Amino acid sequence: MKSSWRRDLFTVGVFAKISVRRYFRDRLAIFFTVVFPLIFLFVFGSISKGNNVSFHVGLLNQSSSAFATKFTSDTKANKLFNVDSTVTDLTTAKDRMSKSEIDATIILPPSFGVLKGGVPSGQAQILYDENNAPAAQTISSVIQGELEGVNAQLVKITPPFSVNAQSTNTKGLSKLDYTVSGLLGFSIIGLGIFGPVNYFPEMKKQGVLRRLHITPLRVWQFFVSSVLSNAVIGLFSIGIMIAVASSPLFHFKIVGNYFELGLFIILGILMIFGIGLAIGGWAKNERQAAPLSNIVVFPMMFLSGTFFPRYAMPLWLQHVSAYLPLTPVIDGIRSIATEGQHITQIGPQLGMMAIWTVIIYAIAFRVFRWE
Amino acid sequence: MSTPIVKVEKLRKSYDDKEVVKGISFEVGQGEIFGILGPNGAGKTTTLEMIETLRPIDGGTATINGIDVAKEPQKVRYMIGVQTQSTAFMDKVKLTELLEQQAAAYGEKVNTMALLKDVHLQEKASSFIESLSGGQKQRFSIAAALVHQPKIFFMDEPTTGLDPQARRNLWNLVQKINQAGKGITIILTTHYMEEAEMLCNRVAIMDDGKIVAMDTPQKLVQDLLKKGFKKKHRVEQANLEDVFIDLTGKELGRQ
Repeated sequence: MKSSWRRDLFTVGVFAKISVRRYFRDRLAIFFTVVFPLIFLFVFGSISKGNNVSFHVGLLNQSSSAFATKFTSDTKANKLFNVDSTVTDLTTAKDRMSKSEIDATIILPPSFGVLKGGVPSGQAQILYDENNAPAAQTISSVIQGELEGVNAQLVKITPPFSVNAQSTNTKGLSKLDYTVSGLLGFSIIGLGIFGPVNYFPEMKKQGVLRRLHITPLRVWQFFVSSVLSNAVIGLFSIGIMIAVASSPLFHFKIVGNYFELGLFIILGILMIFGIGLAIGGWAKNERQAAPLSNIVVFPMMFLSGTFFPRYAMPLWLQHVSAYLPLTPVIDGIRSIATEGQHITQIGPQLGMMAIWTVIIYAIAFRVFRWE
Repeated sequence: MSTPIVKVEKLRKSYDDKEVVKGISFEVGQGEIFGILGPNGAGKTTTLEMIETLRPIDGGTATINGIDVAKEPQKVRYMIGVQTQSTAFMDKVKLTELLEQQAAAYGEKVNTMALLKDVHLQEKASSFIESLSGGQKQRFSIAAALVHQPKIFFMDEPTTGLDPQARRNLWNLVQKINQAGKGITIILTTHYMEEAEMLCNRVAIMDDGKIVAMDTPQKLVQDLLKKGFKKKHRVEQANLEDVFIDLTGKELGRQ
């Protein structure tokens, strides 16, 4: 007879192997764990690929001067502005502004650009809604700046004060870096929580777990085999996600060590899957599992930086969301993948994950029911 | 009765103040096929579940092969095989894999094809459970329950929902497993009296949480006749079920 721990691990191995095979036969599971996150990648990735800041504006050129025509085409070419070409009259413009579909309307009156004493002159108007005052301020400044540039050329004076903006030229994080690491976090949630939360109560209802309960199989063996198969499936789905993100479609670059990244992701899956095990293992049926999993998942989905980067949140919310289980996972993935940090450099994240893992599994073991 | 392998003494169980098993006692001998009969809600399943280590025992004791079920459930689990009422298994898993997994739960490796052959399912080895008929599922769940060669086999209403052929096939299988008392000891519950008469060496009839009668089926019938009981109908040598079986055949392949 094999030694007892080898027998125990043999059991775990067989269970893990069979559940991985089962996953690859399940098209629906593959859709939700691979295709679904990819759809999100395409949606959010395309949004964050573009310029970081741009204003939606209407542009009404009422002048027929050559200068106004040139100014119009210059503005349209300016990356800072996203000119809504369907705004052709003041009524539409006001309507769009009141709905915040556009931030402001730039009006070039009939007198704009008309030659006065040999040089073009005139005044551009910026029309805005109270809701969009801050954006309108910026737009005004930009237009002002452009016109001052024109003025300087026409009148040839050197202004005594000026601003000189310079890029630091170091490679910072792009919005895409935040998006991809956030979506990897979303993948881990989908796989680790939504999977078991649906699947476990189903197995209970059918009596599949009851059949295992009759055998000497212990809860820890069942948990470990589930974690193992989940880690394998998770690395598979996340691997595909990273491959697509790194493709020429998105140009996501991993500068960190792949092995460390993989190891860290496994730790993340281990922790998050514990939440799914706790909820799915506790719930007698889907009706108990669904609301509880939503309560747990939604705060993480919106506050841990899956879809919206945390830096965009008010400071107090950043402090609160820092303690959610998923936050250190997403931060850690980003630190390793895009900042090239080593796993030894992200101690705070690992520490928080360790604490959560202990808490989550302590609960999961306590509340688990076979039927 | 041969040496007792299962001993149940004054077993009790309550759910929310309602006592469903009221201090029952019985023994099952080595190699016996023992039936527990009774209407729904009589406490048959609860009794079985307590002996199977699935439910905590509120009062009394149950021992299997001398081992106390309440004190050493893990040891007992290695000795018993259980066929549950539900024949559900994980979907999208091949029959051979399901058996491999079931055996692994006991830390064992088995010849899955041989096990499937025992229940005439070798052609279905690579099928998923969802493609099996009711009778096939029932036979498969027996194979799964016996992967670790238990000493005692519990069957909870094994033929409920099966058509007559499938039921007769299952009876044959049960007798094969028992090998006329030389094989595995079997404890089963059933609603069907002819099933009990056909299979069981002894039966216990339960009603309202108590055992109201316990003996061989023949003895129970004699006792009843002694009391002067007369059946209203004249007893035929065959019944409608025999006609049905005769017309539709009972070969394994035809269900």
